[in-house]
Parts: sequence; structure tokens; C-alpha cells
Amino acid sequence: MFLVTELVTLLATNLILTQALGTSTLFIAAGNRKNLLWTAITITVFTSVGSGAAYTVNRLLPNGLADLTLLFYTLIVGAIYVLFLAVLYYTDFASFATARKYVHISAFNCAVMGTLFTITERAEAYPELNTFVRFVLSGAEAGTGFILAAFILTAAYRKLNSAKVPASFRGFPAMLVYLGLISMAVYALR
Amino acid sequence: MQTKVKTERFIWIDVMVTLLTLWLMDFFYYGIRAVVLGGVCIAVSVTAELISLRLMGRKFTADDLTCVSDALIITLMLPAVFDMKAAAIACVFAVAAAKNIFGGRLNMIFSPAAAAYVFLYTSWKNQLLMFPEPHVRTGVFEKAANLVSSASHSFNITGRMSATDFELLLGNVSGPAGAVSILLLAVAAVVLLLRRSISAGAFIGSISATVLLALIVPASVTRADSVKYTLCCNMVLFASVYITADRRIAPKRWYFAFFYGFFVAMFSYILVITTAKENAIVLVSLLFTPVALGFRNLEKRIELTEREEQAEAERLAAEADADGEEALPDEE
Amino acid sequence: MKNKKTAVFDGLLGDNTVLSALMVISPVIMCGSTLMNAVALMYAFSAITFFSVLIGSFVPKRLPYAAKIIIRAVIASIVYIPVRTVAREFFPDVITRVGIYFPLLAVNSLIVVQSETKFARMKRGTMIASLVFYILGFDAVMAVTAFVRELLAYGTINGRLVDADTLISGLGLPFGGFIFLGLLCGLYRKVRSVIRRENSETGGDGNVSGN
Repeated sequence: MFLVTELVTLLATNLILTQALGTSTLFIAAGNRKNLLWTAITITVFTSVGSGAAYTVNRLLPNGLADLTLLFYTLIVGAIYVLFLAVLYYTDFASFATARKYVHISAFNCAVMGTLFTITERAEAYPELNTFVRFVLSGAEAGTGFILAAFILTAAYRKLNSAKVPASFRGFPAMLVYLGLISMAVYALR
Repeated sequence: MQTKVKTERFIWIDVMVTLLTLWLMDFFYYGIRAVVLGGVCIAVSVTAELISLRLMGRKFTADDLTCVSDALIITLMLPAVFDMKAAAIACVFAVAAAKNIFGGRLNMIFSPAAAAYVFLYTSWKNQLLMFPEPHVRTGVFEKAANLVSSASHSFNITGRMSATDFELLLGNVSGPAGAVSILLLAVAAVVLLLRRSISAGAFIGSISATVLLALIVPASVTRADSVKYTLCCNMVLFASVYITADRRIAPKRWYFAFFYGFFVAMFSYILVITTAKENAIVLVSLLFTPVALGFRNLEKRIELTEREEQAEAERLAAEADADGEEALPDEE
Repeated sequence: MKNKKTAVFDGLLGDNTVLSALMVISPVIMCGSTLMNAVALMYAFSAITFFSVLIGSFVPKRLPYAAKIIIRAVIASIVYIPVRTVAREFFPDVITRVGIYFPLLAVNSLIVVQSETKFARMKRGTMIASLVFYILGFDAVMAVTAFVRELLAYGTINGRLVDADTLISGLGLPFGGFIFLGLLCGLYRKVRSVIRRENSETGGDGNVSGN
């Protein structure tokens, strides 16, 4: 029963299904199962590490300079982006050319930046969530939600791109409606 | 191909016959208003189907009359006095957004009836979950008065059922028009199972999970009551027959269908006892659509592998025969 | 063969930012439920994107791809600051309602990705014209989406009640945004394919093909 309630919570706070964050990235990556999996994992790493760094920025940034939050979050994501590429380059150069495209797609997108802002917003509303560990866990949870949404889309990918779907709706429009219906079911469960 | 078409039509006829009997019961309890509501849903669904097929460049055939059964399923899940405009919008949504956008009956992804119900649940929740008492007749254009919560709602909150077993069996309780006539639903389930018009695996999985969980984690004072009332409430029986066990959606292989039905029922039972969510099984059926699709993808891969193995075996057998024939003249 | 001059207008119709390229869909889905929200987001998107891409066009092309992306994102984050200050003056309530989707406009794909893949390869004049139409493409979709959703979900137009009989409250929710955008996207594709077929039949210059 605990697992079911946790699954419902994961769905209810899902980035894509309830906040439409990272939808474009998901669609771009959905074309290939391998692409989708690696993109989802890369985004999870970005959201987890980024959330931890965002906690530090929030602590250090004075209240009067709240408008600079976006700038500092951008710098955080940029730093993680460069670090990720460097680690890939020096540890596994052979697959660097193929692996870096996942990093390029995953770095600056609504899923990652949206997660940082959402977690910060939640921490302001619920002070008990304003700890480093909670930030990192929330980031990881957001990334897991992205992976779950990726699986949900993969299950129907073949049907959504089938020749039986009217040409005007084949692909992205059908995917949007599909995600909309799943999102509707998630909303009804809340 | 012709056999497949014939089978689909017979399935549709079987489902329609059972739905019509439930609709008749609906008329018995709620009068002409229930019939008119059903008529509006059917008319709107057929029109929407006609228009969307025309836009897709396809002809309307007898097989496309499945929109009528979907419309009846939607009608039977609604209060008899539900707003007809909202019901019409839901039917258009079911046909256009939940079915024909994805290619229609040739490429089913969602159960149209389940999608329509969840759409109504999220947009007209208060109206959807208030019902007239049985035998209270409301005029076709009258505004309904003295609406009450369903018997399922009372059971979810209190764990007790005020209606007698006889009343439950005959559907003499407040609730969705077609989903409370338990005896009729049970007969419909048996008929459809014997005629293989619904997925036996999904139906049995759904009922098994409900019974098992009702025994392990009772929702009522006694285990017997828990099993009895859990099966009779929250549209469990109705949804298990017409939504979860819908052959267009459920996996084809009986063991996959069993697990699909099992997980849907299990998830919805837990939601009912933890959050008292009414009619959770319909919501969960829509949510578990990717699970059904995942099972179907797995079935396709298994079929493909089996076909490849068979072709390989035939090829080897042919080669072995050819080698054998070449050897014989040498021996002579 | 596509006319180079008409390619400038692509961002509005032929290759619409939202409906064709599926960029910046989060704000349309989540905040495109009322005209008030839409106007604020249109202003923010237009200002941030225009100035960020324009300033970003001066970034040296020889830099590595990753460096250029980061610099463009930083430029957008800096441009966001004065844009937000102005928005606080003119749309104070909307900023609160729109929440995180306001700052997220600064990392939209048009700035971060398309600047590099599309705009960087154009001459500055053509780039500015093309950029304006891409921005207008987003604005048009945002306006249409917000108008229809507000009317059908709440029975209002820009906060003013109209005589709407039946309201579909689900259309104002995120899932309603997904479904509506999907339908709009399909409709857009249909209209575009019909126009393209007609253009190819007439030879693109009004003459009947083959003559």
C-alpha cells in the first residue's frame, strides 16, 4: 500500500504530467528507445546535482537579490554541463562523440531549470524541505518522474506514429493528446 | 480477415445486448429521462463518428457502430439526471479525442468510455457524483432535486452498507444508473465470458485481485461483508466487464490480461481504502493504459520471435530433407 | 523551390515556433488558460528572446558549441532582470500567478538551441526579421490558446464575463492545455498541408502546373 501511495505521489508531482516541463525534450528523445533512456538518466543527474547546488545558492544569495536567482541557476547548470562533458571526455573518449549529444539536450531545458525553481518554491512553502539532503532527493525524484514519463510515452510510441493515425496528428500532436489523457487520469487521482 | 470482421461484429452484438438490458433497468428505475440521456449520447456519438471518419477520409461501416456501445457505457456510468450538454460533450471527447485522433477502432489506445468518464470527473465532478434515489422520476427538461451521494460513497466512508443484499442485487440503491444492478451485471459477465466477447483473463484478474485484497485488507467489519460490498460498489463489476476486460484494450494472451486486470483492481482497491475515492477502477483503468500497451508490445515481440523460430525450423527441415534426398542416390 | 524572401515569415506560419517546432510549449500549456497570463508571457517571451538572440549574435562563432550555449543562456538570464522589473510594474498579479514559468522563458529552445542551429547562419538583417516572425509565431499561438481556453473553461474574455452556457473547467487545467494544444497542432498541420498542396499545384506563382 505504501508503494501505491508513493507511486501516486510520484505521478502527482511528475514534471511532465502535471507541470508540462521537459515535454519538448521528451518528444525529441522519444524517437529512439536508447536515446530516451540515456537522456532521462542524464536529466536525472542534472536535476539531482543541480538541486544540491541550488540549495547552496539559495543560502548564500541575499533576499534583496532574488532577481539574480535565474542567473546563478544558469551558471550552476552551465558548470555541471562543462563538468559532465569533461568527465565524459577524459573517462570514455571512445563514446564521447555519441554520449555528448545527450548532455547537450539535457543541459538547458525546462525540465532541469523548472526542477530547481519548483524545489525552491516548495522549500519556501514548507521549511522542513529546506535542507541539502531534501533538495538532492527532490531533484532525484524529479528525474525519476521524467524517466517514468519516458516509459509511459515509449509504451505508446509505435501506435502514436502508426500509419493508421491521420497524417495531421501522427507523431507530436498525438503524443500531446496522449500525454494529456494520462495527465487527466493523474489529476483525477489527486 | 472476414472471420475476424465477423467475430468483431458478434462481439459488438453481444456487448450491445447486455448493455441494452442494463439500459432497460435504468428506465425501470429512473423513467424516460434515462432513456433520453442514452439517446442523446448515442446520437451525438454517431454524429461525431460520422464527421471524424469523413475528415479522416474513411467510410462509416457497420464496424464503426462500436461508438454506440461506448455511448451506452458512458450513459450507464452517469447519474440518470446528468446534464445532457455535458454528457454530449463527453461523448464527442470520447469519439474524437480519445479514439479517432489515434486512428479510430483500427488503432485503439484508450477505452473511450473510461476517457469520457475521467473527463467528466475532472470537469463536472460534483454533478457526476450526485444521484437521484431509485424510482424518483425526473422530467426530461426538469432540474433534478433531492440528489444524494451514492451507496458506494457511503460504503467508502463508513465501511457499512445501508441497503439489503436483495436491494443490492436488483440495483435498488443510489448510484450510476447501469452499474448498480449487480444481478444483471453478473449474468452479463457470465454470458460475455462464455461467448468470449470480453477478455476472460482481464476480468478474472480484476475480480481475483478485488476478492483477495478484500480478504487480506478488509474494507468492512467482517471479511465476508468486505468481499461482498467491494464487488458491488464503486463500479467494480461494471468496469471489470466493460472497461478492463474490453478486448480492444486488454492484452490478448490470457496471462498478460490476467496481470493487467489484477494490477488495475489492486491499485484501485488500495485507492478506495486509503483515499475513499469513488469509482477508482475507472480512473485507474485509464491510467494503466500504458501497462496494457506495454503488454501488447511484448506480445507482438513474442509472436515475431515465434514466427522467426518457426521459419528457421522449417528452413532447417527443408535443408535436411534435401540432404537426405541427395544421399539416397549415392547409397543405391 | 522555396522563396528565400518568404522563408523569413516561416516562424509565423510555415514553421511556427510552437505548432511546428514544438518549442516553448510548457508556458502555453500551463499558463495559456487566461488572456491576462498570456499577455504577460507574450511580453516577457518577446522581450527576452529578441534581446537575448540579438546580443547573442555577437558571440564569436569559433567558440566551442558548449561555450556558446552557456554564454547565450547567461545573456538571457541577464536580459531577464530588467524585463522582470518592468513586468512587476505592469503585470504585478500575473507574475505571481505565472510563477516559475516566467523565468523559464529565459531558457527557451529558441534562445539556447535555435540561435546556434538557425539564426547564427543568417545575415544580421535577415536574422532579425526571421526572429521577429518566430516570436510572433509564439505570440499568436499563445493568444489563440488563451482566448479559447478562457472562454470555454471560465466563460470570460480577459476577465470579463460573457454569456457562456456550459463551461468545461478541465480545459483550464494542465491536461486541458495538452489536449487543446495537440488538437491545435493537428489542425495547423492539416491547414499547412492543404496550402502547400495548392501552392505546388499552381506552381507557386499562380500558373497552372505544366503550362
